[in-house]
Amino acid sequence: MSEKIQITVEPDLMDLIPGYIKNRQNDIEAVKAALETGDFETIRIIGHSMKGSGGGYGFTRITEIGAAMEQAAKEPAPDTINNLTKDLSDYLERIDIV
Amino acid sequence: MSILIVDDSPDNLLLTKTFLKSTGYVDVVCCESASATMTFLGMSENATPNQDVELILMDIIMPEMNGIELTVQIKKNEFFTDLPVIMLTAQDTIEDLQLAFAAGAIDYIKKPFDKMELITRVRSALRLKNEMDQRKARERELTETLHQLQAANSMLKTLSAIDSLTNIANRRYLDNYLDEEWRRAVRSETPLAIIMADVDHFKLYNDTYGHQMGDEALINVASVLKEVVHRPGDLAARYGGEEFIVVLQDSGKEGAITLAEKICKNIFYRHIPHEKSSYGFVTLSMGVSSVVPTMDSLPAELIGEADKALYRAKENGRNRVEA
Repeated sequence: MSEKIQITVEPDLMDLIPGYIKNRQNDIEAVKAALETGDFETIRIIGHSMKGSGGGYGFTRITEIGAAMEQAAKEPAPDTINNLTKDLSDYLERIDIV
Repeated sequence: MSILIVDDSPDNLLLTKTFLKSTGYVDVVCCESASATMTFLGMSENATPNQDVELILMDIIMPEMNGIELTVQIKKNEFFTDLPVIMLTAQDTIEDLQLAFAAGAIDYIKKPFDKMELITRVRSALRLKNEMDQRKARERELTETLHQLQAANSMLKTLSAIDSLTNIANRRYLDNYLDEEWRRAVRSETPLAIIMADVDHFKLYNDTYGHQMGDEALINVASVLKEVVHRPGDLAARYGGEEFIVVLQDSGKEGAITLAEKICKNIFYRHIPHEKSSYGFVTLSMGVSSVVPTMDSLPAELIGEADKALYRAKENGRNRVEA
């Protein structure tokens, strides 16, 4: 198990964080499913959406991963997408809200 | 008044809404698509426009219709032309921003945004909207005041032209009118005639019947003049006291005399009793003059001629026309 990543979150958003993280875990499943059917449009939209929301919630890394995923879906680069879902999954597990 | 957020991502809607609410903007509405937005705003043909929205925060990239196209549609609607739209965008391309501004957006916020940035931009957009609304309200007030002023002016203009007792043109209006007609007659080389009329033994009438009856007599004379003088371009006016003047466009002496005699007869046949007059009734003496005005003559000369003729009418026994 890797080290925890400490994230400082706006007090207003504290209640929203568990839901937000849950939604990203759902995204990971959705991306995996889309990868199997070659539905890169869905992956692009998920990536774009993460890019727009991550930083706002305090997760700059999610914005980075989202941007990379959106780009990879356009190419399309399934291997990169696969790696990005692993990065995201790993990141979500290491988040420690303070 | 409410703020409307349009974004296809529930996470973004929730985030934006939370930032706004925690700042005190409690009335926040969320729409997840263009069609939901159009329904909410009441943009379809028979719907009632929802004019409670004072600001829209709009995502650009959305399935079906994107935020730019939606903004174009909203701005096309007469009820929402001035409704401010701020674009929320995770796109970095300059073309998107150009399109957004061209569509009518007033500002944009790049996603992801932090709370401070969002709130600052929302606040300044609302302030701008507020100032614009106030300015428009002031403009409406000014326009209304202007209309009132114009109405008052036009009434004043009428009042300043009308003799308050007899309701025909007054001396001021007559002077201007005669000047204008004079210049017109000089240009067109056509004759201009005037009739000057004076109530016979008016002082005696007032002494006998009182000033109120005197006023009545003058009103009667004015009403005879109105009856007889109705060619467009001709004017009957009260010249002062018991004196009246009729201006006749494009008229020679003969025509003016005919008209004057008609006036003379009509006032006589009103049979307004005047026991101190040898005729037993209120009568008029009249002087007529006519001229084809030239550059080096003056309206006063025409009036002077009519005045002399009037004097002769008085000398020759009153209740008559002289030219």
